Amino acid sequence: MLRKTSPRAALIAATLLASVAMPAVADEASGTLNVAFTKELENIDSYFNSSREGVVMQRAVWDGLIYRNPETNEYVGNLATSWEWIDDTTLEFKLREGVTFHNGEPFNADDVVFTVNFVAKEENGVKTQRNVNWMESAEKVDDYTVRIKLKKKFPAAIEFLSGPVSMYPNEYYAEVGASGMGLKPVGTGPYRVTEVVPGQHFKLEANSAYHDSPKGQPEIANIDIRTIPDVNTQMAELFSGSLDLIWQVPADQAAKLGQMGQFTVANESTMRVGYLQMDSAGRSGDNPFTNKLVRQAVNHAINRQELVDALLQGSSKVVYTPCFPSQFGCVQDVTEYEFNPEKAKELLAEAGYPDGFETAFYAYRDRQYAEAISSYLNNVGIKTDFKMLQYSALRELNMDGKVPLSFQTWGSYSINDASAMVSQFFKHGSLDSTRDDEVRDWLDVADSSTNPDERIEYYSKALEKITDEAFWAPMFTYNTNYVFTDQVAYTPTPDEVLRFVDMTWN
Amino acid sequence: MSNAPDPLLQEIQGPSPRQMLKTRALGHKGLLFGMAVVGLLVLVAILAPVLAPHDPYAQSLMNRMVPPVFMGGTWEHPLGTDHLGRDYLSRLIYGARVSLLIGAVAALISGVIGTAMGVAAGYFGGKVDAVVTFLINVRLAMPVVLVALAVVAILGGSLTVVICVLGLLLWDRFAVVMRASTLQVSRRDYVAAAQVIGASTPRILLTEIMPNIFNNLIVVITLEMAHAILLEAALSFLGLGVQPPTPSWGLMVSEGKNMMLFEPWLVLIPGAVLFVLVLAINLMGDGLRDVTSPEGRS
Amino acid sequence: MLTFILKRLGLAVLVAITVSFISFSLLFLSGDPAAALAGETASGEDIEAIRRLYGFDRPMLVQYGEWLFSALRGDFGESYYFKLPVASLIADRLQVTMLLGLCGILFALLTAVPLGVAAAIRPNSIIDRLALFLSVAGQAMPSFWFGLILIVVLAIQLGWLPPSGASTWRHFVMPTIVLGYYAMPAIMRLTRAGMLDVLESDFIRTARAKGAGETRVLFKHALRNAIIPVVSLAAVQMGFMLGGSIVVESVFALHGAGFLAWESIARNDLPTVQALILVFSMFYIIFTFLADVLNAWLDPRMRSA
Repeated sequence: MLRKTSPRAALIAATLLASVAMPAVADEASGTLNVAFTKELENIDSYFNSSREGVVMQRAVWDGLIYRNPETNEYVGNLATSWEWIDDTTLEFKLREGVTFHNGEPFNADDVVFTVNFVAKEENGVKTQRNVNWMESAEKVDDYTVRIKLKKKFPAAIEFLSGPVSMYPNEYYAEVGASGMGLKPVGTGPYRVTEVVPGQHFKLEANSAYHDSPKGQPEIANIDIRTIPDVNTQMAELFSGSLDLIWQVPADQAAKLGQMGQFTVANESTMRVGYLQMDSAGRSGDNPFTNKLVRQAVNHAINRQELVDALLQGSSKVVYTPCFPSQFGCVQDVTEYEFNPEKAKELLAEAGYPDGFETAFYAYRDRQYAEAISSYLNNVGIKTDFKMLQYSALRELNMDGKVPLSFQTWGSYSINDASAMVSQFFKHGSLDSTRDDEVRDWLDVADSSTNPDERIEYYSKALEKITDEAFWAPMFTYNTNYVFTDQVAYTPTPDEVLRFVDMTWN
Repeated sequence: MSNAPDPLLQEIQGPSPRQMLKTRALGHKGLLFGMAVVGLLVLVAILAPVLAPHDPYAQSLMNRMVPPVFMGGTWEHPLGTDHLGRDYLSRLIYGARVSLLIGAVAALISGVIGTAMGVAAGYFGGKVDAVVTFLINVRLAMPVVLVALAVVAILGGSLTVVICVLGLLLWDRFAVVMRASTLQVSRRDYVAAAQVIGASTPRILLTEIMPNIFNNLIVVITLEMAHAILLEAALSFLGLGVQPPTPSWGLMVSEGKNMMLFEPWLVLIPGAVLFVLVLAINLMGDGLRDVTSPEGRS
Repeated sequence: MLTFILKRLGLAVLVAITVSFISFSLLFLSGDPAAALAGETASGEDIEAIRRLYGFDRPMLVQYGEWLFSALRGDFGESYYFKLPVASLIADRLQVTMLLGLCGILFALLTAVPLGVAAAIRPNSIIDRLALFLSVAGQAMPSFWFGLILIVVLAIQLGWLPPSGASTWRHFVMPTIVLGYYAMPAIMRLTRAGMLDVLESDFIRTARAKGAGETRVLFKHALRNAIIPVVSLAAVQMGFMLGGSIVVESVFALHGAGFLAWESIARNDLPTVQALILVFSMFYIIFTFLADVLNAWLDPRMRSA
């Protein structure tokens, strides 16, 4: 929500302005772009971290065989020049010639074979197994031809090869091992790493010998990344000129920064959906959420539009489906629950809770949203005992079926298909709080079918039942803000990945 | 005036200890100021439902971060509203309850633990003393903030957990002071006399020792209460203390921090109130010490 | 003297072991570290495998013994999060914390001692009142709040100092003030009280009677005697401050050991938290031990204690 700028705010803005003007120019001259990460990255090697910051580094330092244009979603060759399906589970690649790694090692089939065989092996401990465990192995046909064998049919293989699967230098890796790769990473990407202080500081330098990649050539000579967990401190650094770009800026701060006129604020939607998960299966014992009327009451109690307008802002949207609207199969023709606290109270009374009830309420991020949600619930008589946990801790409780009500979010790994979200949570997995057999059977059909019409039909059935039974209370989609000084030119993409190679000086 | 003591008699006897205490207390500005402020805040905490202009939990997302009246706001929300549009003044008033409750109960718990240990060590000496001294050393060696954060992280933040953790961590000063005071008192003649006439140990502790170390105990309770309030605020600030929507001043600073560069009052107001409360309690404690130990301030 | 030192040393070791046991068992209660270790995308089987791999299924005392034995050799295990040796991780970050602690205690001493002395020379003067006010305010000041105000005023409004980080000496100014101010009141009060005591004592009167200059009396005779307990208090405060730097480091985003502790708690990174609790306790134990020895050396009466 924006208010008129008071004289005092104008004064502060003026003071800030005065302190902003000078140092940023110096940065441009020296060719260094200063960026902040919010999270301490455990390992720069993207196979061994599971964070957004890791994806950013992976795109800068390494390359995949394939590249997906983030605007057109078209797949083009990167380290490979062409590929074809030999059969349902074999892909053959022709590799690009003349590519070298940052340490001078030439790129060829051996590197691909080594990388695939290494990451596909579970013992090697790649953090996000889902990214790699569909591959069986790779074999060399000749120096620049390689085949990747899949474990079973996997239509999303191309998507994964253009995303998380990037290529290691085999000789270097044999020499330094996993820890060496984490401390002195070597890839083929547009930027090479010159300094790593684990969790705190990363320095990148443009790769002047970068191959003719669809990613484009790097323009900014140096990137300096510091970890500053607090957004507030990040902004202070932005004002003092020692940062040029911050991202994942909360809506309120982004709005204020935009008003100052010194910074570009770019807002992009993300695939992340925020929802309330209710224990309708009764795994946490006999609880009110096993009653459909109670779940419907919860759905009516939340003012989704107000949450979006006042808190999330930007390009966020209200959703009623347990998936992101753009995902294939995520049909929007479902039961919608309008904001109606009176109706919620009536439903609660009908369900046998005329005076409401008390429940534990868990969340792991966005305390502010969770607090607002719990206030809506309190309003209709559902008293919440709020518990903020780390993701891993909440996940553990959830898998043990000890969570009656929680505020959850899911980003679908930016995969544009409903299976990445609905099927993740409604197929009796350990995180399924619903356990509806019918829904599971429909999703099985939808997930494995190769006929798009059939897939849509079965996802529709599942989504209709899920929303009709109010198993969840889906609420909103997320967005993210990028704020940078006027010296920087950058257009963010909807996949929430910061691409240094696309940035230029104004 | 008929009740006034005979001036001549008073000159011979000198003022009674109680009168001297009163005179000194009334002459001690810090003590008076401290007691006045603490008294006022206790009153505010008790009368919170009457005094608060709004429900401290009532959110209004369309009225977020309205500035206080002296910064261009309206009297509808004299101190503005927070990031969820809740009335800041009302949350501050209810926050006084949280701070005082945590301070008082935590000081009480640690007071009971520390006093029991200190008195036992001072009175019995020998092995008991050695064990207690050792425990005090162990306790002092544990980094309070770190341990408290870790425990709250494990058990989950709530009012009860925070009170218990602080109560179990802050007994060291009680033990140290009570041990020293007991040592001093138990060497006095009347304790020896009581022992000679065969008074039981609990009786001696309760009737001879406790009354004579009570003044010191009150002083430490006051100071530790201030300590507990500050620690709670720090824990809540770091996100591992009292959980929302409970209004805690430390939490309010932490929540306001995100908008600090644009709306500094969000941080200034709760921090200032916290500062004043802790200052007042400390002044009260220092004052009590000055007044009860005639040797003057140390 | 040697007996005294040996006795104190024995006590220190015993305290250290007890603290290590308490911190180990506290965190042992924290539930299943395997889930935290496995990360966001692990399945139930992944977690079970990790549980066996790290030996979380064995009795607690066995795990403690093993941990203590390795810790004695400087091996605190591997961080769940960074997958790097905890010892090297802490060693890296400890530099910042120790530098901060050192600056903080120096700042405290350099402000508290002159103020305390000045206050003692003229009790109830304006200086005395100012000193009292500063110390009372310092005790009541929430350090996180003080830090935030400094950032707004000194870094943002005035633009004099960088708001966060640790790369130059200018980055340390604000954290030093906040941390030092936390230790200042106690030192100031002790200096003042000590000076008052000494100034009233016989040997100062004698010195004055002999016609020694006032400056000489103050600094040669009085301060030298009053400073002894102050130095040992400073050592103890230093131990406290290192443990307390967690708040200051988080406010100023200083990547020190305190900050690591906070982040590790949030990340459920058990080995790191355990090691940090032990390391911070060790600092306190070492500093108090040094203070005791110093005291005993300067004042033989203490040795019998």
